[in-house]
Amino acid sequence: MAFETAQSVLLSGIVLGSLYALMATGLSLVWTTLGIFNFAHGIFMTIGAFIAWQVGTDLGWGLGPAAGIALGVAALVGVGCLSEFLLVRPFLSRSGIVMLVVITTLSATIFLENSTLLIWGARYKQMPPLIEGKVELLSTAISAHEVLMIAIAPLTLLTLWVFLKFTRIGSAIRAVSQNQESALLMGMNVPLLYSIAFGLSAGLAGFAGILLGSIRFITPGLGNEPLVKALIVAIFGGLGSLGGTIGAAYIIGLVEAISTFFIGLYWTPAILFAGMIVVLLLRPTGLFGKK
Amino acid sequence: MDDILIVEKACKSFGELRAVREISFTVDAGEIFGIAGPNGSGKSTLFNLITSIPYPADSGRVLFGGKAIHRMRANRICRAGVARTFQKETAFDTLSTIENVMLGSVYGHERPDTPTAQRRTREALAFVGIAEDQYGRPAGELSVFDKKRLMLASALATRPRLLLLDEPASGLTKPEIDETIELLRRVNAEGVTVLVIEHVLPLLLTVSNRLMVLNQGQELTTGRPDDVVRDEHVIEAYLGSRGKDDGRDS
Repeated sequence: MAFETAQSVLLSGIVLGSLYALMATGLSLVWTTLGIFNFAHGIFMTIGAFIAWQVGTDLGWGLGPAAGIALGVAALVGVGCLSEFLLVRPFLSRSGIVMLVVITTLSATIFLENSTLLIWGARYKQMPPLIEGKVELLSTAISAHEVLMIAIAPLTLLTLWVFLKFTRIGSAIRAVSQNQESALLMGMNVPLLYSIAFGLSAGLAGFAGILLGSIRFITPGLGNEPLVKALIVAIFGGLGSLGGTIGAAYIIGLVEAISTFFIGLYWTPAILFAGMIVVLLLRPTGLFGKK
Repeated sequence: MDDILIVEKACKSFGELRAVREISFTVDAGEIFGIAGPNGSGKSTLFNLITSIPYPADSGRVLFGGKAIHRMRANRICRAGVARTFQKETAFDTLSTIENVMLGSVYGHERPDTPTAQRRTREALAFVGIAEDQYGRPAGELSVFDKKRLMLASALATRPRLLLLDEPASGLTKPEIDETIELLRRVNAEGVTVLVIEHVLPLLLTVSNRLMVLNQGQELTTGRPDDVVRDEHVIEAYLGSRGKDDGRDS
Protein backbone atom coordinates (compact mmCIF):
# COMPACT_ATOMS: atom_id res chain seq x y z
CA MET A 1 0.00 0.00 0.00
CA ALA A 2 1.36 3.38 -0.96
CA PHE A 3 2.18 5.76 1.85
CA GLU A 4 -0.34 8.32 0.55
CA THR A 5 -3.07 5.67 0.53
CA ALA A 6 -2.29 4.71 4.12
CA GLN A 7 -2.51 8.35 5.14
CA SER A 8 -5.79 8.74 3.33
CA VAL A 9 -7.25 5.67 5.04
CA LEU A 10 -5.95 6.90 8.40
CA LEU A 11 -7.60 10.30 7.97
CA SER A 12 -10.81 8.69 6.85
CA GLY A 13 -10.73 6.52 9.99
CA ILE A 14 -10.16 9.53 12.22
CA VAL A 15 -13.08 11.40 10.63
CA LEU A 16 -15.36 8.41 11.20
CA GLY A 17 -13.96 7.97 14.71
CA SER A 18 -14.73 11.60 15.54
CA LEU A 19 -18.31 11.17 14.45
CA TYR A 20 -18.74 7.88 16.31
CA ALA A 21 -17.16 9.37 19.43
CA LEU A 22 -19.81 12.10 19.51
CA MET A 23 -22.59 9.61 18.88
CA ALA A 24 -21.45 6.84 21.18
CA THR A 25 -20.50 9.12 24.08
CA GLY A 26 -24.09 10.34 24.24
CA LEU A 27 -25.34 6.77 24.15
CA SER A 28 -22.85 5.74 26.81
CA LEU A 29 -23.75 8.71 29.02
CA VAL A 30 -27.36 7.55 29.15
CA TRP A 31 -26.29 3.96 29.80
CA THR A 32 -23.89 5.02 32.58
CA THR A 33 -26.43 7.27 34.27
CA LEU A 34 -29.71 5.41 33.83
CA GLY A 35 -28.60 1.88 32.93
CA ILE A 36 -30.69 1.82 29.75
CA PHE A 37 -30.11 1.87 26.00
CA ASN A 38 -31.77 4.67 24.11
CA PHE A 39 -32.68 3.38 20.67
CA ALA A 40 -34.05 6.81 19.73
CA HIS A 41 -30.47 8.12 19.72
CA GLY A 42 -30.23 7.70 15.92
CA ILE A 43 -33.40 9.62 15.20
CA PHE A 44 -32.15 12.41 17.51
CA MET A 45 -29.21 12.68 15.12
CA THR A 46 -31.57 12.92 12.17
CA ILE A 47 -33.76 15.58 13.79
CA GLY A 48 -30.67 17.65 14.66
CA ALA A 49 -29.62 17.60 11.02
CA PHE A 50 -33.12 18.50 9.76
CA ILE A 51 -33.52 21.41 12.20
CA ALA A 52 -30.07 22.79 11.36
CA TRP A 53 -30.94 22.49 7.64
CA GLN A 54 -34.28 24.23 8.20
CA VAL A 55 -32.81 27.06 10.24
CA GLY A 56 -29.45 27.50 8.55
CA THR A 57 -29.76 26.93 4.79
CA ASP A 58 -31.17 29.20 2.13
CA LEU A 59 -33.72 26.52 1.21
CA GLY A 60 -35.04 26.81 4.78
CA TRP A 61 -35.11 30.00 6.86
CA GLY A 62 -31.62 31.08 5.77
CA LEU A 63 -30.38 32.23 9.18
CA GLY A 64 -26.88 30.87 8.58
CA PRO A 65 -24.96 27.80 9.76
CA ALA A 66 -24.15 29.17 13.26
CA ALA A 67 -27.84 29.70 14.01
CA GLY A 68 -28.58 26.30 12.49
CA ILE A 69 -26.09 24.56 14.78
CA ALA A 70 -27.13 26.51 17.88
CA LEU A 71 -30.85 25.97 17.40
CA GLY A 72 -30.36 22.38 16.24
CA VAL A 73 -28.39 21.42 19.34
CA ALA A 74 -30.62 23.43 21.70
CA ALA A 75 -33.76 21.88 20.23
CA LEU A 76 -32.29 18.41 20.61
CA VAL A 77 -31.45 19.04 24.27
CA GLY A 78 -35.13 19.89 24.70
CA VAL A 79 -36.23 16.83 22.71
CA GLY A 80 -33.94 14.69 24.90
CA CYS A 81 -35.40 16.06 28.15
CA LEU A 82 -38.95 15.57 26.84
CA SER A 83 -38.12 12.04 25.70
CA GLU A 84 -36.78 11.14 29.14
CA PHE A 85 -40.00 12.46 30.67
CA LEU A 86 -42.28 10.57 28.28
CA LEU A 87 -40.34 7.41 27.45
CA VAL A 88 -38.30 6.62 30.56
CA ARG A 89 -39.63 8.31 33.69
CA PRO A 90 -42.96 6.45 33.83
CA PHE A 91 -40.98 3.21 34.09
CA LEU A 92 -38.19 4.25 36.48
CA SER A 93 -39.48 2.22 39.40
CA ARG A 94 -40.38 -0.84 37.28
CA SER A 95 -38.19 -3.91 37.52
CA GLY A 96 -38.18 -4.53 33.75
CA ILE A 97 -37.17 -0.98 32.85
CA VAL A 98 -34.38 -2.00 30.45
CA MET A 99 -36.71 -3.93 28.14
CA LEU A 100 -39.54 -1.42 28.56
CA VAL A 101 -37.29 1.43 27.46
CA VAL A 102 -36.08 -0.60 24.47
CA ILE A 103 -39.73 -0.81 23.40
CA THR A 104 -40.61 2.83 24.14
CA THR A 105 -37.51 4.25 22.42
CA LEU A 106 -37.92 2.00 19.38
CA SER A 107 -41.58 3.09 19.16
CA ALA A 108 -40.50 6.72 19.45
CA THR A 109 -38.00 6.16 16.65
CA ILE A 110 -40.73 4.94 14.30
CA PHE A 111 -43.01 7.82 15.30
CA LEU A 112 -40.31 10.48 14.91
CA GLU A 113 -38.96 9.06 11.64
CA ASN A 114 -42.41 9.29 10.11
CA SER A 115 -42.89 12.74 11.61
CA THR A 116 -39.72 13.98 9.89
CA LEU A 117 -41.04 12.48 6.66
CA LEU A 118 -44.29 14.41 7.08
CA ILE A 119 -42.57 17.67 8.01
CA TRP A 120 -39.62 17.71 5.62
CA GLY A 121 -40.78 15.36 2.89
CA ALA A 122 -38.99 12.52 1.17
CA ARG A 123 -36.66 14.63 -1.00
CA TYR A 124 -33.01 14.33 0.01
CA LYS A 125 -31.48 17.37 1.66
CA GLN A 126 -27.92 18.36 2.43
CA MET A 127 -26.27 21.01 4.54
CA PRO A 128 -23.47 22.94 2.87
CA PRO A 129 -20.10 22.24 4.51
CA LEU A 130 -19.52 24.35 7.61
CA ILE A 131 -16.19 25.36 6.07
CA GLU A 132 -15.72 25.34 2.30
CA GLY A 133 -12.58 24.18 0.54
CA LYS A 134 -9.83 21.60 0.94
CA VAL A 135 -6.92 21.34 3.31
CA GLU A 136 -3.74 19.34 2.87
CA LEU A 137 -3.21 17.18 5.91
CA LEU A 138 -0.53 14.43 6.11
CA SER A 139 0.10 15.04 2.39
CA THR A 140 -3.52 14.19 1.67
CA ALA A 141 -6.16 16.58 0.42
CA ILE A 142 -9.13 16.50 2.78
CA SER A 143 -12.19 18.73 2.96
CA ALA A 144 -11.99 21.55 5.49
CA HIS A 145 -15.31 20.35 6.90
CA GLU A 146 -13.77 16.98 7.78
CA VAL A 147 -10.81 18.72 9.41
CA LEU A 148 -13.33 20.67 11.45
CA MET A 149 -14.96 17.37 12.49
CA ILE A 150 -11.59 15.96 13.55
CA ALA A 151 -10.89 19.05 15.65
CA ILE A 152 -14.33 19.72 17.06
CA ALA A 153 -15.19 16.23 18.31
CA PRO A 154 -12.38 16.03 20.91
CA LEU A 155 -13.10 19.63 21.96
CA THR A 156 -16.78 18.83 22.48
CA LEU A 157 -15.94 15.71 24.47
CA LEU A 158 -13.37 17.65 26.51
CA THR A 159 -16.09 20.19 27.34
CA LEU A 160 -18.37 17.33 28.39
CA TRP A 161 -15.61 15.91 30.60
CA VAL A 162 -15.00 19.31 32.24
CA PHE A 163 -18.75 19.63 32.83
CA LEU A 164 -19.02 16.17 34.41
CA LYS A 165 -15.86 16.56 36.46
CA PHE A 166 -15.95 20.13 37.71
CA THR A 167 -19.55 21.31 37.95
CA ARG A 168 -22.13 20.60 40.65
CA ILE A 169 -24.58 19.07 38.20
CA GLY A 170 -21.83 17.06 36.52
CA SER A 171 -20.67 15.60 39.85
CA ALA A 172 -24.29 14.85 40.72
CA ILE A 173 -24.81 13.02 37.40
CA ARG A 174 -21.69 10.92 38.08
CA ALA A 175 -22.94 10.24 41.61
CA VAL A 176 -26.47 9.27 40.65
CA SER A 177 -25.10 6.83 38.10
CA GLN A 178 -23.40 4.96 40.95
CA ASN A 179 -25.99 4.99 43.70
CA GLN A 180 -29.44 6.37 43.19
CA GLU A 181 -30.55 5.88 46.79
CA SER A 182 -27.58 7.68 48.30
CA ALA A 183 -28.07 10.49 45.79
CA LEU A 184 -31.69 10.89 46.90
CA LEU A 185 -30.62 10.87 50.54
CA MET A 186 -28.27 13.77 49.84
CA GLY A 187 -31.15 15.81 48.46
CA MET A 188 -30.45 15.36 44.76
CA ASN A 189 -33.40 15.52 42.40
CA VAL A 190 -32.65 12.24 40.66
CA PRO A 191 -35.32 12.43 37.90
CA LEU A 192 -34.12 15.93 37.00
CA LEU A 193 -30.53 14.69 36.76
CA TYR A 194 -31.68 11.84 34.53
CA SER A 195 -33.44 14.38 32.35
CA ILE A 196 -30.29 16.52 32.09
CA ALA A 197 -28.19 13.46 31.16
CA PHE A 198 -30.73 12.52 28.49
CA GLY A 199 -30.79 16.10 27.19
CA LEU A 200 -26.99 16.24 26.99
CA SER A 201 -26.92 12.91 25.21
CA ALA A 202 -29.51 14.05 22.68
CA GLY A 203 -27.62 17.33 22.18
CA LEU A 204 -24.48 15.35 21.32
CA ALA A 205 -26.47 13.20 18.91
CA GLY A 206 -27.97 16.29 17.30
CA PHE A 207 -24.54 17.87 16.91
CA ALA A 208 -23.19 14.69 15.32
CA GLY A 209 -26.19 14.69 12.97
CA ILE A 210 -25.49 18.28 11.93
CA LEU A 211 -21.86 17.41 11.13
CA LEU A 212 -22.96 14.29 9.26
CA GLY A 213 -25.63 16.23 7.36
CA SER A 214 -22.89 18.06 5.47
CA ILE A 215 -21.21 14.93 4.15
CA ARG A 216 -24.26 12.70 3.64
CA PHE A 217 -27.80 13.31 2.45
CA ILE A 218 -30.29 14.10 5.20
CA THR A 219 -33.13 11.57 5.12
CA PRO A 220 -35.41 10.26 7.87
CA GLY A 221 -33.14 7.22 8.11
CA LEU A 222 -29.90 9.24 8.41
CA GLY A 223 -29.24 8.15 11.99
CA ASN A 224 -30.00 4.43 11.60
CA GLU A 225 -26.58 3.24 10.48
CA PRO A 226 -24.63 5.54 12.85
CA LEU A 227 -26.81 4.27 15.73
CA VAL A 228 -25.72 0.69 15.02
CA LYS A 229 -22.08 1.83 14.86
CA ALA A 230 -22.49 3.77 18.09
CA LEU A 231 -23.93 0.67 19.77
CA ILE A 232 -20.93 -1.35 18.58
CA VAL A 233 -18.58 1.36 19.85
CA ALA A 234 -20.28 1.64 23.26
CA ILE A 235 -20.28 -2.15 23.79
CA PHE A 236 -16.81 -2.63 22.31
CA GLY A 237 -15.35 0.14 24.50
CA GLY A 238 -16.98 -1.09 27.68
CA LEU A 239 -20.38 0.03 28.86
CA GLY A 240 -20.18 2.65 31.55
CA SER A 241 -16.75 3.89 30.53
CA LEU A 242 -16.94 7.24 28.75
CA GLY A 243 -13.17 7.28 28.17
CA GLY A 244 -13.32 3.73 26.85
CA THR A 245 -16.16 4.70 24.52
CA ILE A 246 -14.12 7.55 23.02
CA GLY A 247 -11.06 5.29 22.56
CA ALA A 248 -13.22 2.59 20.98
CA ALA A 249 -14.84 5.13 18.63
CA TYR A 250 -11.50 5.93 17.03
CA ILE A 251 -10.50 2.23 16.87
CA ILE A 252 -13.81 1.35 15.18
CA GLY A 253 -13.46 4.30 12.83
CA LEU A 254 -10.00 3.14 11.78
CA VAL A 255 -11.06 -0.51 11.42
CA GLU A 256 -14.01 0.59 9.30
CA ALA A 257 -11.82 2.74 7.05
CA ILE A 258 -9.25 -0.03 6.60
CA SER A 259 -11.92 -2.67 6.03
CA THR A 260 -13.80 -0.50 3.53
CA PHE A 261 -10.62 0.12 1.56
CA PHE A 262 -9.29 -3.43 1.49
CA ILE A 263 -12.35 -5.66 1.74
CA GLY A 264 -15.28 -3.56 0.66
CA LEU A 265 -18.04 -1.38 2.03
CA TYR A 266 -20.66 -4.13 2.30
CA TRP A 267 -18.46 -6.43 4.37
CA THR A 268 -17.54 -3.73 6.87
CA PRO A 269 -20.55 -4.07 9.23
CA ALA A 270 -20.03 -7.84 9.39
CA ILE A 271 -16.36 -7.34 10.22
CA LEU A 272 -17.18 -4.81 12.93
CA PHE A 273 -19.76 -7.13 14.50
CA ALA A 274 -17.33 -10.06 14.31
CA GLY A 275 -14.65 -7.92 16.01
CA MET A 276 -17.10 -6.93 18.72
CA ILE A 277 -18.07 -10.57 19.34
CA VAL A 278 -14.42 -11.61 19.60
CA VAL A 279 -13.68 -8.79 22.05
CA LEU A 280 -16.72 -9.69 24.17
CA LEU A 281 -15.67 -13.35 24.21
CA LEU A 282 -12.20 -12.40 25.45
CA ARG A 283 -13.25 -9.43 27.60
CA PRO A 284 -16.98 -9.51 28.46
CA THR A 285 -16.73 -6.02 29.96
CA GLY A 286 -15.49 -4.56 26.67
CA LEU A 287 -12.05 -3.37 25.68
CA PHE A 288 -11.76 -0.64 28.33
CA GLY A 289 -14.57 -1.62 30.72
CA LYS A 290 -13.82 -2.39 34.35
CA LYS A 291 -14.58 -5.81 35.78
CA MET B 1 -39.17 18.59 75.12
CA ASP B 2 -40.62 18.93 71.58
CA ASP B 3 -41.15 15.85 69.46
CA ILE B 4 -39.00 16.16 66.35
CA LEU B 5 -40.23 12.88 64.86
CA ILE B 6 -43.61 11.23 65.26
CA VAL B 7 -44.32 7.88 63.67
CA GLU B 8 -47.96 6.84 63.82
CA LYS B 9 -49.13 3.30 63.07
CA ALA B 10 -46.57 2.72 60.34
CA CYS B 11 -47.17 -0.51 58.39
CA LYS B 12 -45.28 -2.28 55.64
CA SER B 13 -45.93 -5.68 54.09
CA PHE B 14 -44.16 -7.68 51.42
CA GLY B 15 -46.77 -10.11 50.16
CA GLU B 16 -47.75 -12.23 53.15
CA LEU B 17 -44.87 -10.97 55.28
CA ARG B 18 -45.83 -8.11 57.56
CA ALA B 19 -42.43 -6.50 58.10
CA VAL B 20 -43.66 -3.53 60.14
CA ARG B 21 -46.95 -3.75 62.03
CA GLU B 22 -48.55 -0.53 63.27
CA ILE B 23 -45.44 0.84 64.94
CA SER B 24 -45.86 4.18 66.69
CA PHE B 25 -43.21 6.15 68.56
CA THR B 26 -41.93 9.67 69.07
CA VAL B 27 -38.39 11.03 69.18
CA ASP B 28 -37.64 14.11 71.28
CA ALA B 29 -35.55 16.90 69.79
CA GLY B 30 -31.95 16.56 70.93
CA GLU B 31 -32.05 12.96 72.15
CA ILE B 32 -30.33 9.81 70.96
CA PHE B 33 -33.06 7.26 70.36
CA GLY B 34 -31.93 3.67 69.91
CA ILE B 35 -33.77 0.92 68.06
CA ALA B 36 -32.80 -2.67 68.77
CA GLY B 37 -34.14 -6.06 67.81
CA PRO B 38 -33.14 -9.43 66.42
CA ASN B 39 -32.50 -9.97 62.72
CA GLY B 40 -35.66 -9.48 60.67
CA SER B 41 -37.43 -7.56 63.39
CA GLY B 42 -38.16 -4.63 61.04
CA LYS B 43 -35.54 -2.09 62.17
CA SER B 44 -34.12 -1.20 58.76
CA THR B 45 -37.59 -1.38 57.18
CA LEU B 46 -38.70 1.23 59.70
CA PHE B 47 -35.85 3.50 58.57
CA ASN B 48 -36.90 2.90 54.98
CA LEU B 49 -40.43 4.06 55.79
CA ILE B 50 -39.20 7.23 57.49
CA THR B 51 -36.92 8.23 54.61
CA SER B 52 -39.03 6.76 51.76
CA ILE B 53 -35.89 4.95 50.57
CA PRO B 54 -36.50 2.68 48.78
CA TYR B 55 -40.21 2.63 49.61
CA PRO B 56 -42.73 4.55 51.71
CA ALA B 57 -45.09 3.01 54.28
CA ASP B 58 -48.22 1.18 53.14
CA SER B 59 -50.15 3.07 55.78
CA GLY B 60 -49.55 5.26 58.80
CA ARG B 61 -48.04 8.72 59.17
CA VAL B 62 -44.57 10.14 59.67
CA LEU B 63 -44.29 13.71 60.97
CA PHE B 64 -40.98 15.55 61.11
CA GLY B 65 -40.95 18.86 62.95
CA GLY B 66 -44.75 18.77 62.86
CA LYS B 67 -44.82 18.38 59.07
CA ALA B 68 -46.04 15.20 57.34
CA ILE B 69 -43.19 13.69 55.32
CA HIS B 70 -44.57 10.24 54.51
CA ARG B 71 -45.83 11.35 51.11
CA MET B 72 -42.71 13.37 50.26
CA ARG B 73 -40.06 12.32 47.76
CA ALA B 74 -36.85 11.14 49.39
CA ASN B 75 -34.76 14.11 48.26
CA ARG B 76 -37.32 16.51 49.73
CA ILE B 77 -37.20 14.64 53.04
CA CYS B 78 -33.45 15.21 53.04
CA ARG B 79 -33.90 18.89 52.30
CA ALA B 80 -36.41 19.10 55.15
CA GLY B 81 -33.53 18.12 57.45
CA VAL B 82 -33.46 14.32 57.70
CA ALA B 83 -30.25 12.46 56.82
CA ARG B 84 -29.47 8.76 56.86
CA THR B 85 -26.63 6.30 56.56
CA PHE B 86 -26.91 2.67 55.49
CA GLN B 87 -25.85 -0.54 57.21
CA LYS B 88 -23.68 -1.43 54.22
CA GLU B 89 -20.93 1.01 53.36
CA THR B 90 -22.36 3.00 50.46
CA ALA B 91 -20.49 5.81 48.78
CA PHE B 92 -19.99 7.11 45.27
CA ASP B 93 -16.97 4.91 44.75
CA THR B 94 -15.33 6.60 41.77
CA LEU B 95 -15.77 10.07 43.21
CA SER B 96 -13.11 11.33 45.60
CA THR B 97 -13.77 11.44 49.33
CA ILE B 98 -14.12 15.21 49.27
CA GLU B 99 -16.42 15.12 46.21
CA ASN B 100 -18.71 12.69 48.06
CA VAL B 101 -19.11 15.03 51.00
CA MET B 102 -19.31 18.12 48.80
CA LEU B 103 -22.44 16.72 47.16
CA GLY B 104 -24.06 16.51 50.59
CA SER B 105 -23.10 20.13 51.28
CA VAL B 106 -24.41 21.34 47.94
CA TYR B 107 -27.67 19.42 47.64
CA GLY B 108 -28.67 18.95 51.29
CA HIS B 109 -30.92 20.75 53.76
CA GLU B 110 -29.33 24.14 53.18
CA ARG B 111 -28.02 25.13 49.76
CA PRO B 112 -25.04 27.37 50.32
CA ASP B 113 -22.78 29.19 47.87
CA THR B 114 -19.69 27.31 46.72
CA PRO B 115 -17.15 28.73 49.24
CA THR B 116 -19.51 27.98 52.14
CA ALA B 117 -20.15 24.48 50.78
CA GLN B 118 -16.40 23.87 50.50
CA ARG B 119 -15.84 25.07 54.07
CA ARG B 120 -18.66 22.87 55.38
CA THR B 121 -17.31 19.91 53.45
CA ARG B 122 -13.89 20.22 55.07
CA GLU B 123 -15.49 20.78 58.47
CA ALA B 124 -17.57 17.60 58.11
CA LEU B 125 -14.55 15.56 57.05
CA ALA B 126 -12.45 16.91 59.91
CA PHE B 127 -15.32 16.34 62.35
CA VAL B 128 -15.53 12.62 61.60
CA GLY B 129 -11.73 12.31 61.67
CA ILE B 130 -10.86 11.34 58.10
CA ALA B 131 -7.22 12.23 57.49
CA GLU B 132 -6.61 15.05 55.01
CA ASP B 133 -4.41 12.87 52.80
CA GLN B 134 -7.51 10.74 52.09
CA TYR B 135 -9.60 13.63 50.74
CA GLY B 136 -8.52 13.19 47.12
CA ARG B 137 -8.69 9.40 47.17
CA PRO B 138 -11.57 7.59 45.40
CA ALA B 139 -14.12 6.60 48.01
CA GLY B 140 -14.07 3.01 46.79
CA GLU B 141 -10.47 2.66 48.00
CA LEU B 142 -11.16 3.68 51.60
CA SER B 143 -11.09 1.24 54.53
CA VAL B 144 -14.39 0.03 56.03
CA PHE B 145 -14.06 2.42 58.98
CA ASP B 146 -13.23 5.38 56.75
CA LYS B 147 -16.17 4.52 54.51
CA LYS B 148 -18.45 4.50 57.56
CA ARG B 149 -17.03 7.87 58.59
CA LEU B 150 -17.41 9.14 55.02
CA MET B 151 -21.11 8.19 55.04
CA LEU B 152 -21.49 10.07 58.30
CA ALA B 153 -19.61 13.11 56.98
CA SER B 154 -21.76 13.15 53.82
CA ALA B 155 -24.91 12.95 55.95
CA LEU B 156 -23.69 15.71 58.29
CA ALA B 157 -22.77 17.91 55.32
CA THR B 158 -26.48 18.04 54.41
CA ARG B 159 -26.99 19.91 57.74
CA PRO B 160 -29.60 17.54 59.16
CA ARG B 161 -31.71 18.14 62.24
CA LEU B 162 -32.40 14.42 62.49
CA LEU B 163 -29.79 11.79 61.65
CA LEU B 164 -30.74 8.15 61.12
CA LEU B 165 -27.85 5.72 61.52
CA ASP B 166 -28.32 2.12 60.43
CA GLU B 167 -25.88 -0.13 62.29
CA PRO B 168 -22.94 2.31 62.35
CA ALA B 169 -20.77 -0.21 64.23
CA SER B 170 -21.27 -3.26 62.02
CA GLY B 171 -18.01 -4.70 60.76
CA LEU B 172 -15.88 -2.51 63.03
CA THR B 173 -13.23 -3.50 65.56
CA LYS B 174 -13.61 -2.73 69.28
CA PRO B 175 -11.43 0.43 69.17
CA GLU B 176 -13.32 1.61 66.08
CA ILE B 177 -16.64 1.00 67.87
CA ASP B 178 -15.39 3.09 70.79
CA GLU B 179 -14.48 5.89 68.37
CA THR B 180 -17.92 5.60 66.78
CA ILE B 181 -19.60 5.94 70.17
CA GLU B 182 -17.58 9.06 70.85
CA LEU B 183 -18.44 10.41 67.42
CA LEU B 184 -22.18 9.85 67.94
CA ARG B 185 -22.01 11.75 71.21
CA ARG B 186 -20.23 14.64 69.53
CA VAL B 187 -22.79 14.70 66.69
CA ASN B 188 -25.57 14.81 69.27
CA ALA B 189 -23.78 17.52 71.24
CA GLU B 190 -23.87 19.66 68.07
CA GLY B 191 -27.67 19.67 68.42
CA VAL B 192 -28.47 16.88 65.97
CA THR B 193 -31.14 14.42 67.08
CA VAL B 194 -29.94 10.87 66.45
CA LEU B 195 -32.01 7.79 65.70
CA VAL B 196 -29.75 4.76 65.70
CA ILE B 197 -30.32 1.11 64.83
CA GLU B 198 -27.72 -1.24 66.15
CA HIS B 199 -27.24 -4.94 66.52
CA VAL B 200 -24.42 -4.38 69.00
CA LEU B 201 -26.48 -3.82 72.16
CA PRO B 202 -23.65 -2.40 74.31
CA LEU B 203 -23.31 0.52 71.90
CA LEU B 204 -27.01 1.32 72.14
CA LEU B 205 -27.01 0.96 75.92
CA THR B 206 -24.06 3.35 76.13
CA VAL B 207 -25.31 6.15 73.89
CA SER B 208 -29.12 6.02 73.89
CA ASN B 209 -31.33 8.22 76.02
CA ARG B 210 -34.24 5.94 75.18
CA LEU B 211 -34.39 2.57 73.53
CA MET B 212 -37.14 0.83 71.56
CA VAL B 213 -36.97 -2.90 70.95
CA LEU B 214 -38.72 -4.49 67.99
CA ASN B 215 -39.55 -8.11 67.36
CA GLN B 216 -41.28 -9.56 64.30
CA GLY B 217 -42.24 -6.11 63.06
CA GLN B 218 -43.83 -5.02 66.32
CA GLU B 219 -42.78 -2.81 69.19
CA LEU B 220 -41.89 -4.89 72.25
CA THR B 221 -41.07 -2.08 74.59
CA THR B 222 -39.69 1.45 74.78
CA GLY B 223 -37.96 3.09 77.72
CA ARG B 224 -34.69 3.90 79.41
CA PRO B 225 -31.98 1.46 78.31
CA ASP B 226 -31.46 0.09 81.83
CA ASP B 227 -35.15 -0.71 82.17
CA VAL B 228 -35.45 -2.13 78.67
CA VAL B 229 -32.70 -4.72 79.08
CA ARG B 230 -34.43 -6.07 82.18
CA ASP B 231 -37.76 -6.42 80.38
CA GLU B 232 -38.63 -10.12 80.22
CA HIS B 233 -40.13 -9.83 76.71
CA VAL B 234 -36.85 -8.36 75.47
CA ILE B 235 -34.81 -11.14 77.13
CA GLU B 236 -37.07 -13.72 75.54
CA ALA B 237 -36.85 -12.12 72.11
CA TYR B 238 -33.07 -12.01 72.19
CA LEU B 239 -32.27 -15.24 74.06
CA GLY B 240 -35.41 -17.36 73.68
CA SER B 241 -37.34 -19.00 76.55
CA ARG B 242 -34.16 -20.60 77.94
CA GLY B 243 -32.67 -17.18 78.46
CA LYS B 244 -35.84 -16.16 80.24
CA ASP B 245 -35.64 -19.25 82.50
CA ASP B 246 -31.96 -18.57 83.14
CA GLY B 247 -32.85 -15.01 84.11
CA ARG B 248 -35.37 -16.27 86.66
CA ASP B 249 -32.92 -18.77 88.11
CA SER B 250 -30.19 -16.23 88.69
